Parts: sequence; structure tokens; C-alpha cells
Amino acid sequence: MRALKIAATGMTAQQMRVETISNNLSNMNTTGYNARRAEFSDLHYQQIARAGTVNAADGTVLPTGVQVGLGVRPAAVSVNLAQGSLSQTNSDLDLAIDGNGYLEIAMPAGQTAYTRDGSLKRNAEGLIVTSEGFPVAPEIVIPQDARSISINPEGEVYAYFADTAEPQLLGQMNLVGFANAKGLEALGGNLFAETEASGGPLAATPGEDGLGTLRQGYLEDSSVDPVRELTELIEAQRGYELNAKVISAVDQMLGATTQVR
Amino acid sequence: MENTGYVTLTRQSGLMREMEIIAHNIANAATTGFRQQGLVFSEYVQAVDGGESLSMAAARVKKTSAAQGILTQTGNALDLAIEGSGYFQLETPNGLRLTRSGAFNVDPLGDLISADGHRVLDTGGAPINVPPGEADAKVAADGTISVGDQLLGQIGVVDAEPGADLERESGVLFKTDAALAPSEDGLVLQGHLEGSNVDAISQLTRMIEVQRAYEMGQKLLDMDHERTKTALQTLIK
Repeated sequence: MRALKIAATGMTAQQMRVETISNNLSNMNTTGYNARRAEFSDLHYQQIARAGTVNAADGTVLPTGVQVGLGVRPAAVSVNLAQGSLSQTNSDLDLAIDGNGYLEIAMPAGQTAYTRDGSLKRNAEGLIVTSEGFPVAPEIVIPQDARSISINPEGEVYAYFADTAEPQLLGQMNLVGFANAKGLEALGGNLFAETEASGGPLAATPGEDGLGTLRQGYLEDSSVDPVRELTELIEAQRGYELNAKVISAVDQMLGATTQVR
Repeated sequence: MENTGYVTLTRQSGLMREMEIIAHNIANAATTGFRQQGLVFSEYVQAVDGGESLSMAAARVKKTSAAQGILTQTGNALDLAIEGSGYFQLETPNGLRLTRSGAFNVDPLGDLISADGHRVLDTGGAPINVPPGEADAKVAADGTISVGDQLLGQIGVVDAEPGADLERESGVLFKTDAALAPSEDGLVLQGHLEGSNVDAISQLTRMIEVQRAYEMGQKLLDMDHERTKTALQTLIK
């Protein structure tokens, strides 16, 4: 009974869709979060009657055959790279990326991660770090007596002091782009790692090479659209029920079969 | 004598097959670019020596619905839908394949690829290279893809000649040996995906019909069995 198994693949697929939706909805307020979308693809087809088979001695061929597909499989959970809206926070070290690109983060074990979450902080040594305390690369140290910090859209970080009018250039923040940013591996904690699919990181000054610019005092909101997610949720739920209905119909057909003696 | 049983059996096995196709359609109700399938029964007539001929049912023709699937806005620059007829061309290890599923990406080398990693071909059959910064890529209705003022190529939207057979393959792909020509009314829509064109309500209705028809067939077998039994009992007495 293939139909039972086919409907089961349908239920698994819809369940995965619900899981993706619930992850999106729970990250509705996560800074820099990009909505995910479950994508599906059909499974292998069994050829019952192959199209083009000679059907008669005079060379007549079957115009269309019979192909029975075996259900559905998850093809990808793709990231929607749409820009989230920017909300003003007025904090010195809150950075939103307006456009493409990621901030480079140095992880404790020595590897590199990438993030769009620009809610940066200052640690005890004056280093600019993420909310989790991982330093942003290249490292920039803010002197203790700095009165205020200014970061321009091109990533230059200036410090203002009480005793001088001239600001002091502390360093340059870079953005990193990828050939295929959708191919990045999500690590959790708003962090991503490069993969074979994403291609290597291409660091550049913000605003160059197709990268976005920095906005000081803003944070990028989650790009989750709750209305879309809820409509998807309804579709997924009904899709699940439809597949369950197929299973019960096939079950009743099997029941009818066994009642014949 | 057993003809009733055999005739019913051809019908029953066909119905079972149709149920599988319905299950496959419903399972793919959320598959991007999926095309609904249907089954057509044909009559198979067998001559019987010295009597009437026997008419059996054979489920042998499948038809693929060409109805437009619902377009969903996704906002991704490389999510493309075709409005109207036509297919995107993909270069797979097994040769050229057609698809309606336009959830495209860029691979590390910059080539435009499908969700399964097959390269998307332009009107001339060559891959399309997109430089980093795909979010800024613009795709026009005729498939022309550009970043800024830089023209990258034209994504091919083709149609097989009318009546050509499209064989299905996994991954929402179609294979055909027929000649391909640029689609006449297919327009590329950027930032959208074409949903599955499965009509859930008609599929569900058909499912109930199939189920009832199957039960009716089983009932017929049952009654035939009773009839034979009664006949035997009467004769033996």
C-alpha cells in the first residue's frame, strides 16, 4: 500500500513546516533574525507505463505513460535575506547593517563567526564585544576616558574626549560578504559560520563591494512577518489534516478489502 | 464464470493506483512549482470465445494539470516565479531538465543554482554568473537579470512543443526529448514563488469518490461470491 506511505511523507513535511514557522514566530523579536522558509520537493517516480512504449504493431506509441510519485521530501530550509526594519535605540554601540553583509566575530576557540546582530557592548578591557562577550574583529579598544563614541556609515570609529575638541580615530570596522549568504550555517546565538556552500568571506569597508553601511544607534529588527507566518501555519495545519484524511481513506479501503472473503 | 471477478479486479487495481496518485498530490500540496497529476481510465475490450466480449478498465493515461499555481511573495531577490506557461532550464548530471520551481540561490563560484544545486541556464543554454550582493539583483519580466547597470544575462523560460510528453523526475523536474522554444506568454516575477497547483478540495472529493467506488467494487465481489455459493449449494442439494 504505497498510498499510506505517500500520505505519511506528506504529514512529515507539513510537520517540518510547522516547526519552521514556530521557530520564526518565537524569534519575532530577535535582533537581526532572518525568517526561514521550509521548501519541499517531490520524491522519485515509479514508471507504471512508460510514455513512448510501442502500443501496437503499426508503431502507435503511448502518448503519456503512468507515473506514480512516492510523496514529498524537505528540499531546503532557506533563509529569507530581506532587510529587517531598523529601530532606533540611541545607544552608542548599537549598530544596524543597512544592506548586505555581516560583522566578523572572533570566537573563543579561535574560529570565526559572522552576525547581523549589532547590539555591541564594551568589555572590562574596553574591547568592542557582542552581547555574549565575543570580540568583534578587527579588535577595537575604546579608551576608558572616552566621553562618547561615534561610528560613521563607513565603519570608522571615533572617540571624543572631555579635554580635546578633535575626535580620535580608534579603528575601522569591516563588513564581510559571501557569494551565497543563504548557504551560511546558523550556529544559534545569532551567529553564522562559513560553509562550502556559502563560499569564503570577502571583507571590505562598509559601503563598498555591494556591502551595506552601518547605522549607529539603530538595531535591525527580526524580518519575521507574523501575518505571513500565521497564514502559513493555517495552510500547514490543513495540509496535515488532508494527509491524515488520505491515510484514513486508504485504511477504510483496506478494511473493505479484508472484508471480502 | 469468474469473469465478474476479473473485470472488477481491473477496476479495483486502477482505483488503488489512482488513490496513490491522489496521496502524492496531497503530499505535495506545499511543494513549490509542483504540478497536479490525474489518471484517466480507458476501456480494454477482450474477445470471449462464443459470447459477448468483455470490457475491462485500464488505468493507463496520466495527465498533468497546467493550471497556474498560487504566487506567494517571499521577498527574496532570487525567488522567481513564472506567470503563464513555460519552464526554467536546469543543467543536471543527467542532462537538461525543466522546472517551475524557482527558489534559486548562488553557489560559492557565483553561478545561479536551483534549490538542489543544479545550474540555471540562460536563453542560450549557458550558466548565469551573479557577483556577490545578489540581494540587489533585479530580474525583469523577460528574465533579464542585472545588478545595478551591469547586465548578467537572460534566464531562459522555455516551453516544449504542444502535446509533448513531460516525464516527471524527483526534485520537481521534468524531462523531455521534445523540441524547446522560448515561451510566448511566460513572464518572470521576482520575489515570488509559484506554489503547488494541487487543488485540495477537488483532490479530497476525488479521494472520497475513489474510496466509495472501491468499496462498491468489493461489495460486487462479495455479492458474486454469495451468488456462486448459493448456486453451488442449490445444485448440490
